[in-house]
Amino acid sequence: MQRINLGEFEELVLLIAAVLHDNAYGISVLQEIEAQTGRQINISAVHSALDRLEQKGYLKSYLGGATNERGGRRKRLFSVTASGAKALSDVKEMRNTLYDQIPKVTLKLNFV
Amino acid sequence: MTEQHLPEPPGWALKLLHWYCKPRYLEAIEGDLYELFDLRCQSAGEKVARRGFAWDVVRFFRWKYIKGIENSNRLNQFAMWKNYFKISLRSLWRQKFYSAINIAGLSVGIACCLLIIIYIKHDLSYDRFWKDGDRIYRIAINDRGPYTPTRLGSFLKSDYPEVESYTRLNGLYDFSFAIGDNVFSEPGGSLADSTVFEVFDVKFIEGTPQGALSEPNTVVLTKSVADKYFPHETAVGKIIKSSGDAVKITAVVEDPPANSHMPFKYLVAMPHEYWATTGWWTGNNFFTYVKLAEGASEEAFEAKILDFMRKHMAKDLMETYHYDNFDDYLASDDSYRFTLVPIQEIHLNYPRLTLAESAGDMDNVYIFSAVAFFILLIACINFINLSTARSGSRSKEVGIRKVLGSVRGELIRQFMVESFLISIFSLGLAILLSLVALPYFNDLSGKQFQSTDLITVDNMLWLTLLLTAVGIIAGSYPALYLSSFKPVAALKGELKSGKSGSFLRKALVSFQFAISIFLVIATVIVYQQINHMTNQKLGFNVSNTMVIKAGSALKDSGPFFRSKLLENPNIGGVAASTTYPSQFVGDWGYSTVGDVKDNYSLYTMFADSYYLETMGVELAQGRFFSRELASDTASIVLNEAAVRELGWDDPIGQRLERTEGVFTVIGVVKDFNFSSLKRKIGSLAIRYDAEIHKTKWGSAYYLARVKGSYQETVNSIGELWGTIAPEEPFDYDFVDQAFAKLYESEAKFGKIFTVFSALAILIACLGLFAMAAYTLEKRFKEIAIRKVLGASVFSITTLVLSDFTKLILFGSIIAVPLAFYVMDQWLQEFAYRMELGIVVFLIPVLAVTLLAWLTVIYQSFKTATGNPVYALKQE
Repeated sequence: MQRINLGEFEELVLLIAAVLHDNAYGISVLQEIEAQTGRQINISAVHSALDRLEQKGYLKSYLGGATNERGGRRKRLFSVTASGAKALSDVKEMRNTLYDQIPKVTLKLNFV
Repeated sequence: MTEQHLPEPPGWALKLLHWYCKPRYLEAIEGDLYELFDLRCQSAGEKVARRGFAWDVVRFFRWKYIKGIENSNRLNQFAMWKNYFKISLRSLWRQKFYSAINIAGLSVGIACCLLIIIYIKHDLSYDRFWKDGDRIYRIAINDRGPYTPTRLGSFLKSDYPEVESYTRLNGLYDFSFAIGDNVFSEPGGSLADSTVFEVFDVKFIEGTPQGALSEPNTVVLTKSVADKYFPHETAVGKIIKSSGDAVKITAVVEDPPANSHMPFKYLVAMPHEYWATTGWWTGNNFFTYVKLAEGASEEAFEAKILDFMRKHMAKDLMETYHYDNFDDYLASDDSYRFTLVPIQEIHLNYPRLTLAESAGDMDNVYIFSAVAFFILLIACINFINLSTARSGSRSKEVGIRKVLGSVRGELIRQFMVESFLISIFSLGLAILLSLVALPYFNDLSGKQFQSTDLITVDNMLWLTLLLTAVGIIAGSYPALYLSSFKPVAALKGELKSGKSGSFLRKALVSFQFAISIFLVIATVIVYQQINHMTNQKLGFNVSNTMVIKAGSALKDSGPFFRSKLLENPNIGGVAASTTYPSQFVGDWGYSTVGDVKDNYSLYTMFADSYYLETMGVELAQGRFFSRELASDTASIVLNEAAVRELGWDDPIGQRLERTEGVFTVIGVVKDFNFSSLKRKIGSLAIRYDAEIHKTKWGSAYYLARVKGSYQETVNSIGELWGTIAPEEPFDYDFVDQAFAKLYESEAKFGKIFTVFSALAILIACLGLFAMAAYTLEKRFKEIAIRKVLGASVFSITTLVLSDFTKLILFGSIIAVPLAFYVMDQWLQEFAYRMELGIVVFLIPVLAVTLLAWLTVIYQSFKTATGNPVYALKQE
């Protein structure tokens, strides 16, 4: 399997972007992360992660239409690319494979 | 709804964002921030939202979102600068040989400069570290020396409010300490008044300035001494024995910095109360320091000291010098004045006042500055020469650039960048070089410089300025000259050889050689002069005279020690005296006996009757002291210089008078050098003291003529000393070594001078080497054609050599007269001067010529022996 270059936070942002589907931009991602995980994050971190993911080719971005909100500024909307989708499923698959291999005893001892 | 106040994010934060943020990201970020702002306004209020907005703007200040230079409006400019750098690096790399020589020469030059700068800065920094150092003055007696009367300081302070504090010092002496059963002799001890800490802000580590030296038999150690004797315990409160007295350590202070004119290692309290309260005004025994109050004028105070003398000292002075009226005394040659010497000037300008081992010399500061300047100049000339010479071969590049639309300003910038790149590389290399050379330089200069002294903000600032200047000077000629080319002419190759620069280049090379020859001549003369001094006949046995110091510690066993010494087969004779040649001799005032009293000042020493034979001093007239005649204490022996000064045709039987009695001249000795050869032999009076070991006239020294092995003799005397005076360490010296020490500073000066001259010549040769290579490259075809037409290798080689020889000879025409003038001036300060013969000028010129030939000959020979076919078949 090819090495997938995704940090923990990047993976989270990528997942959220996928969840939000058509409406993934800075604020929505930020709010979704807060809602889903309770993590407090600065908006600049979200932007930075989104830009990094775009650089890696997992996301692509386009400018949305102008609205009266946001001081009239356009949104930069992100959508997951094919390689982004593949990266997500690869990561998930690898997780699952590894998780299935954990002996039951360990889990019982540790988690029950 | 009515018109209401709409919340707005803080304007400055928006401005900041616009200023730094890349336009590509700006809109999306700004939009998100606005959205967040609105959300926060609703949830937490405007205040929080505004704060949050500002904070977010700050958080967006990330590398990724900051505008790069490429986003600046002056895009084209930046690209051009980038291009200048790229082209410069390429052209430096293409001309590796010349770039290497340029950078090597320049960096050696700068490294020398840097080292010389720290040396000079160190010399100039003496005593600058004292708090209020600019208000502390040393009182000196004009041309009589460093010592001043006992009570001068205390009386000045009580008479004049502008004297804030005063102190007296004396030393530096070697004291001996006994700690337990061990006896040590520790140099660097100074007697000091308790007020010393009011004048000098010595930093206390343990103890306090109050009362540290207020009682006799107390001592303040510096940290280095305290650590040496009490390594793991506190020294304060310990009692040590010194010459039988129990001395208490009251405090430990920081060592005075290396750049102090009084590098004491410990301070000893004045031993007697009466030293402070009584004392003759004509007896000068102490160094007096005063600290003037803030705002007090030095000149005004100096003028007041005359009134002071009239008030307190007139009586003593008139009695001593036999004047009835104080004004007569002041008008006479005997009179002296007190002068204030700022302590910060002592090191460089008043070598007689310093307590440190070696004084600095303002002249040396000037000389080394000049040398540093010359070295840098030579390196810069190389740089200029090579860049002008090489510029010719770049005329085509200039032509093409112009055709492609370069304007003159851009070409100038291109060449300037190149020149600055070389400067910057050289600077980096120079700093490395000087760091590597630092330990050697420390050996050479006898100072302890650290790498932190080298790399200081100051120095770097200096160097950057210097390099900017060098870069501009060296770059300006090719930049201005080449950029003025007409593109067509440049492309046709009409300007190929850079001819108009060749006169300038030749002049500069001649100038370089003038400097080199000058430096070599100076070096030769400095060395010859040192040799001349050390080979001077001193008029007594220098080579095998051993000095045993601290003779007064022998007390009553002096004669026994002497007889024991004489039993030693290695010892040929023993004498005792209050001084030994090369050391300081005090000058005492004498007057003639008769109706008209003339006053003279004679260097006075005391000796026993064995002095003459032991030291090998010759008698010119009369007799020396006799141990059979106790009356000889009232006799005096003069040297020939003294007789000349006194103007006596028949000196024997004449009489001289002093406060302690009348002395009859019984003999005259031939002149011998009892002090440095930098001075003429002074007028010397020898007086008789049969028991020098108990002398009250100074220190006691035993002088032994050594016949056999030095080491054996030293060991056996050391043993003998240990049995007679165990509480005093055995300390000795040899007269020849003591004399050599007097010229140490000259020898050091000579060494430093030699090294830097050698480097200067090296840099000059480096430049010559590159110039020769370049010239030959240009004349490659010419030489080939000459060969084809039958010229021999020899004739071609000499052809090339003669071109350069002319330049050197021209340089020497400038250098020799200048060197003669300057070195003649330098020699004036020596009483015993070498002759400035033709040889000291001829040999350096020949040597430099030869060196230059060697530099050029390899390349010219290589070119001359090359096969002309290769040169001619191109194109």
